[in-house]
Amino acid sequence: MMRIAFSILAASLVLASTVPVAGHHAFGAEFDPNAPIKLQGKVVKLEWVNPHAWIHIEVIKDGKPEVWMVEGGTPNTLLRRGLTRDSLTLGTELVVDGYQTKDHSLKRANGRDVTFTDGRKMFMGSSGTGAPKDGRDSTEGGTKKPGGR
Amino acid sequence: MRPRHLTLGAFGFAALAASLLVTNVAAQAPAGIAKPAVASAKAGTMPRTADGHPDLQGNWSNATVTPIERPPGQPAALSKETVAKIEKGVVDRIQRLAAPSDPKRDAPPQGGDGSTGAAGNVGGYNNFWIDAGDRVAVVNGEYRTSLIVDPPDGRVPALTPEARERQAARVKRFQQFGEYDNPENRPLAERCIASFGSNAGPPMLPNYFYNNNYTIVQTKDHVLVMTEMVHDARIIRMGKQHQHPPAHIRPWWGDSIGWWEGDTLVVETTNFHPQQIFRGASDTLKVIERLSRVDADSLLYEFTIDDPATFTRPWSGEVPFEAQNELVYEYACHEGNHALSNVLSGERSQEKARDAAKKSLPRQ
Amino acid sequence: MSHGVVTLWITGLVAAAAGVALAVTAMPVSGQAPRAAIPRTADGKPNLNGIWQALNTANWDIEAHTARPALAMRPGPVVPVPAKEVLAFGAVGAVPSGLGVVVGGEIPYLPEARKKKDENQANWLTRDPEIKCYQPGLPRATYLPFPFQIFQSQSAMFVAYEYAGAVRNIYLKDPGPPETDSWMGQSVGRWERDTFVVEASGFNDQTWFDRAGNHHTEAMKVTERYTLTSPDHIQYEATITDAKTFSRPWTISMPLYRHVNANAQLGQFKCVPFVEELMYGHLRKTPLP
Repeated sequence: MMRIAFSILAASLVLASTVPVAGHHAFGAEFDPNAPIKLQGKVVKLEWVNPHAWIHIEVIKDGKPEVWMVEGGTPNTLLRRGLTRDSLTLGTELVVDGYQTKDHSLKRANGRDVTFTDGRKMFMGSSGTGAPKDGRDSTEGGTKKPGGR
Repeated sequence: MRPRHLTLGAFGFAALAASLLVTNVAAQAPAGIAKPAVASAKAGTMPRTADGHPDLQGNWSNATVTPIERPPGQPAALSKETVAKIEKGVVDRIQRLAAPSDPKRDAPPQGGDGSTGAAGNVGGYNNFWIDAGDRVAVVNGEYRTSLIVDPPDGRVPALTPEARERQAARVKRFQQFGEYDNPENRPLAERCIASFGSNAGPPMLPNYFYNNNYTIVQTKDHVLVMTEMVHDARIIRMGKQHQHPPAHIRPWWGDSIGWWEGDTLVVETTNFHPQQIFRGASDTLKVIERLSRVDADSLLYEFTIDDPATFTRPWSGEVPFEAQNELVYEYACHEGNHALSNVLSGERSQEKARDAAKKSLPRQ
Repeated sequence: MSHGVVTLWITGLVAAAAGVALAVTAMPVSGQAPRAAIPRTADGKPNLNGIWQALNTANWDIEAHTARPALAMRPGPVVPVPAKEVLAFGAVGAVPSGLGVVVGGEIPYLPEARKKKDENQANWLTRDPEIKCYQPGLPRATYLPFPFQIFQSQSAMFVAYEYAGAVRNIYLKDPGPPETDSWMGQSVGRWERDTFVVEASGFNDQTWFDRAGNHHTEAMKVTERYTLTSPDHIQYEATITDAKTFSRPWTISMPLYRHVNANAQLGQFKCVPFVEELMYGHLRKTPLP
């Protein structure tokens, strides 16, 4: 789905812009498809920053602890669902699959799929759909006042 | 393994729509620009600022699944039933992607997982980070299949020969660089200089990923529109007595002058920054925006692209902006931009590996 | 005690230099300006709309300081001299003097925090977030050598800073405690008679108060007071509270001056591209020598 949508956008933007497209950055620019990885470890640090949140997990490799940085998305979308940095407690064990950065020495990977050890997705929030409340869903109460302040 | 993708996007929308259309019973949009949205609300119900103009202030979102350009084969508008199915499809997809994974799953495939577009064959990240919007754009009661309404086919008009030449020259200039050679060769958004797509604009378009939020503040002499990414503050000077600066002064997001036509805020922007080239536009690009209050929860945003040096005709679009009862959060991008250094160091590291491999080849 | 005398002297001079008749420690400024003199909005509030700028050397050092050759120094044969990295700037890189904007003269650091300040100052080149075009935080955004513009309506108070496109939406309705740390914090404002009072919190610990290494933790709260003392002057005060860094709250005070030229317009200082060579030059395919 995304591929075609993006390539429509991409095609027109390639014609338009001076640089190879991917309005944001394509993950393909940062991560190496030839370096898949599976990680399991405890959260030791959360960088709740833009443009990408980074989850630091400590894995045990050959009996020794090693900290890996896992790239996530923008925390702003999670904040709007009531999820904060504190929603993921330090020490929580996570299972990550993804690909390493092209620079393999960095011990960083994209959080292609980040779950708890029971397989549940890491950040789901109460509604689960991520759809912002907008008053059009009759199952959600209250009318919305513009302003958000 | 099923490839992963990041957002539904335009064609996903089209595919859903096409698969759900039995017969084309949706109303055809009239040719040309649709009539302006619902005229000013009944007297007494339009919120107004102290100087009597409609109050457009607040936090707004233009997130939608409706793409900028109409996918081929689509009518201009869809039936309510089709839209309900599309929107349910979007929600279903989100829920499907939110389902638990197998904790004993393997690492993803060597050579990539087949995902394309922004997901980049490495699967991007979980869908819960995305907030692309889950509604078809509604304007004048019509469920739109594109934000572009003029030309009537809902697509960007053809480029002029001059524009194509400029394009080719630009591409040629950039071909002297590898796409990862320098930070300046990376997209503005990856460098945290601007948002992706034309989020801040003008024209202010959704980016189909996330954080499509704006804050509008209105005073007697200025209208401020702040785009969440990257905390870009467009300052519109109000009043036709203002003049655009000389042609060589070209600020980011151009120079904007605004005025009221009845209950519609009209903004004219010229002097666009040389690095913010909107779809191949020239330095004579002029964008006209119109913003009006439809009801308590929405604005209608209209834009017209006027650049005879680039497009064979002007073109226009309509985008609903929905009131957000949410905060617009800080998006300090440059301050946390590990991604850019990862991209550059990554390429350097792969170059080194390639060079080392070459050197270790036996001599022919 | 001589320190107290010096402090009073500095305070008095700051007040005199600012053209404010009263010692800033003693009297609240709100309510001092005659009602007729200041512009007001339709709802009777002082009208802070406009482009404003501080005219002092607070961004170099908010405490009193003499002029010196550079921000980064090294030992010289006779006296310290500018560090190699900044030598070529000559007088352009020199630090101007300032009487300070801290009420009472000295920042009341806890001992460990004072050490950290000194280390910051000694390592200015690698540590000052301003060098990397990072968001300036508060209250530094107010007295950077760049103007800012206030947009005041009946329902909003928004500040756009020229420096690095920093912005601040000062909420008029409290949304509750900040849900995350940020560079510019979360601001909530209200009117106390003719003074606009802002409570800001939710800061990260990354920003400095100036180029002298003055710092804080994420526990910091800043209370600002904006008072129009004439149509073209705002008296600005900011009280900093951070029990992890300071032994007590402390206040800075300064006038802000309106840009009065007819075509005053906020400029752009989007400095992120300016620092790419500094931050990413070593990652180029062919780094410069």
